Amino acid sequence: MNSALDVRRLAMHKKRKRTNVIALALSLGAMGFGVFWLVWILFETIYLGIGGLTLATFTEMTPPPQGEGGGLANAIFGSFVMVGLATLIGTPIGILAGVYLAEYGQKTWLGGAVRFINDILLSAPSIVVGLFVYAMVVAKLKSFSGMAGALALALLVIPVVIRTTENMLSLVPNALREAAYALGTPKWKVIMTITLKAARAGVLTGILLALARVSGETAPLLFTALSNQFWTSDISAPMASLPVTIFKFAMSPYENWQKLAWAGVFLITMGVLLLNIVARVLFKNKH
Amino acid sequence: MVDKHLSTQFDAELSGISTRVLEMGGLVEAQVAQAVQALVDFSPESADEVLAKEGRVNTMEIEIDRDLSTIIARRQPTARDLRLLIAISKSIANLERVGDEAARIARTVQRLVASGVSSRMRVPMSDLSFEAELATAQLRKSLDAFARLDVERALDVLKHDDEIDKEFDGLLRKLITYMMEDPRTISSSIDLVFVAKAIERVGDHAKNLAEVVIYVVKGQDVRHNTPEAVETMVR
Amino acid sequence: MDAKIETPVGERSKLSVRNLNFFYGSFHALKNINLDIPENKVTAFIGPSGCGKSTLLRTLNRMFELYPEQRAEGQILLDGEDVLASKDDVSLIRAKIGMVFQKPTPFPMSIYDNIAFGVKLFETLPRVEMDERVEWALKKAALWGEVKDKLNQSGSGLSGGQQQRLCIARGIAIKPEVLLLDEPCSALDPISTGKIEELIHELKSDYTVAIVTHNMQQAARCSDYTAYMYLGDLIEFGPTAELFMKPKRKDTEDYITGRFG
Repeated sequence: MNSALDVRRLAMHKKRKRTNVIALALSLGAMGFGVFWLVWILFETIYLGIGGLTLATFTEMTPPPQGEGGGLANAIFGSFVMVGLATLIGTPIGILAGVYLAEYGQKTWLGGAVRFINDILLSAPSIVVGLFVYAMVVAKLKSFSGMAGALALALLVIPVVIRTTENMLSLVPNALREAAYALGTPKWKVIMTITLKAARAGVLTGILLALARVSGETAPLLFTALSNQFWTSDISAPMASLPVTIFKFAMSPYENWQKLAWAGVFLITMGVLLLNIVARVLFKNKH
Repeated sequence: MVDKHLSTQFDAELSGISTRVLEMGGLVEAQVAQAVQALVDFSPESADEVLAKEGRVNTMEIEIDRDLSTIIARRQPTARDLRLLIAISKSIANLERVGDEAARIARTVQRLVASGVSSRMRVPMSDLSFEAELATAQLRKSLDAFARLDVERALDVLKHDDEIDKEFDGLLRKLITYMMEDPRTISSSIDLVFVAKAIERVGDHAKNLAEVVIYVVKGQDVRHNTPEAVETMVR
Repeated sequence: MDAKIETPVGERSKLSVRNLNFFYGSFHALKNINLDIPENKVTAFIGPSGCGKSTLLRTLNRMFELYPEQRAEGQILLDGEDVLASKDDVSLIRAKIGMVFQKPTPFPMSIYDNIAFGVKLFETLPRVEMDERVEWALKKAALWGEVKDKLNQSGSGLSGGQQQRLCIARGIAIKPEVLLLDEPCSALDPISTGKIEELIHELKSDYTVAIVTHNMQQAARCSDYTAYMYLGDLIEFGPTAELFMKPKRKDTEDYITGRFG
């Protein structure tokens, strides 16, 4: 063996090893820094939130300031209703549009335009969406309503679902579609029973992620659903929601309200965390 | 082969084995010539040499056959290449038998010398030599046709096959006459008939070789046809 | 290239291709193809990459229509009726001319549903008959023994060779008349390939089979007739034994003996 070559190789190897250690240390440090803040936020949330969490939180309405007891029942219910409605409205529209983009509009000008507009909507500030719904619905009908709130949230759900549906459908290999066509399957059936089915895990994940996003949105609800101290299941009237309630209570000087705000933060955080975990597990199992 | 394969190794294997076939052909041709000369000269030493080289002929047949099988197994030849390899297999079988005929002639020489036949015995030497020349010429021509994959040459061999048969018939009649005239020559004359037959068979093997050449080039199996029929088939 | 029609002697022609020209945009991919694919025989298409053999196969069942920039001119006659010009729904044509692709593609459903999928497109069968049809198709594809106890499991759980046989079973279940196989064994190991080649041999008694393969030895093993294509032209077409022993064209001989330069 050539020993001069060996010596050179060893020197290079040592240098590379050193560089490797430095780079590794830097990335671990960066990660640690990010994780540290995240863990601290979670910790504070749990610590402060769990303190205020009792059975009453789920059963009683929002209390007056400085009152005793009280809970977040109406806010929780309101959030459920509005987010649920938003998902119900937004998902079908989003999936159908996603199907159009992936299966029919890959190269058409309409498809290109839709994709472009969708990208804009995706990153549109949610307050803008809220104000839009305010101008179109609330101002026209002269009343704040849970329905308006649901609409605003739906407008935030749709772009996310469109984007993930289109992406997931595009990931389905063309060979699978061709196999279905070769059997004599008509196009709509290929999409419904083969392509969508093959992409279902990804599409569902997209919906869950959209859900997780809108469940924490505050700004659009401020101008549409407003809030409501009392229990209501009438969506044509102002409705309470967790984010808005937290907003109101956290900024107040009243201690009982602040405590409830933290409880609300805890609930939202846990809810979003749970949704993300479910989405991840779902996706992992299918692939 | 005129045009090359993508695999130069395959080319080398094919040309290598073709060369060995021609080598074997040259060897057995020389064997026949030497055996007949041994008879003409009544030389037991020459006969011994022929018999010594017989082993080499047989070894060559085995070696070439083994390499042939390897090429077929590894290369999965088709069309022209496959026909060539099949042709080689048949050719070496024919050449090995030519070697056998030469050995037979050499053994006859040994027997004749051992039984004390002298040159005063009436032996149609010139006729035998002539027949042998015809046969070795046919063999040479057919080996040439194989080397060049030349159909015209092969057809030529097929046309001249008759001549050797006629020579053999003539020789047979002469030897029968000798036997009738002098019964003491019967034993040795019969030996000479076998020699003449052996030479005639060399001619037949040359004809087989020519038929095989046509198979390689044209893809047609022309065996068991008259030369005229073959010519029509080939044109 | 002269428009001589290549017709096997003594065979009934199942699919006749007449003056077929194919274009990818402005690229002339198939040039005036004329040949007759004989009934109940296996016809193999060989040739170097880009010669047009897969293109030709995909024209036969109009798969190219999925892509707007691809177009075909000419005639393809199935039992005398022009497939290309037909105003019938293309699904009906694909019911008669089935295709199996290079990559095994089981649908995202159970093995049973995979087979039943195609059948349900064209027939409404009661459960018992559907069970029989599924069993029949899987038996024909030499897969029944290996999957009969797990018909409800997903098709993706099978091995590559099994998945490909599943795709073949799926294609057979709708009882087509012609089976087009586009390099069906390229993604498989030698044993799976061997099983499928056995299968092809059995299938030809009921179906007309056309197979595209880049493996010449496979074409030599499996097919009754072979077509050699080069750069969009049909160079030679004839019985496999003849083409591989004594090809008529030097181009063909150069290709099959590996003298391609």
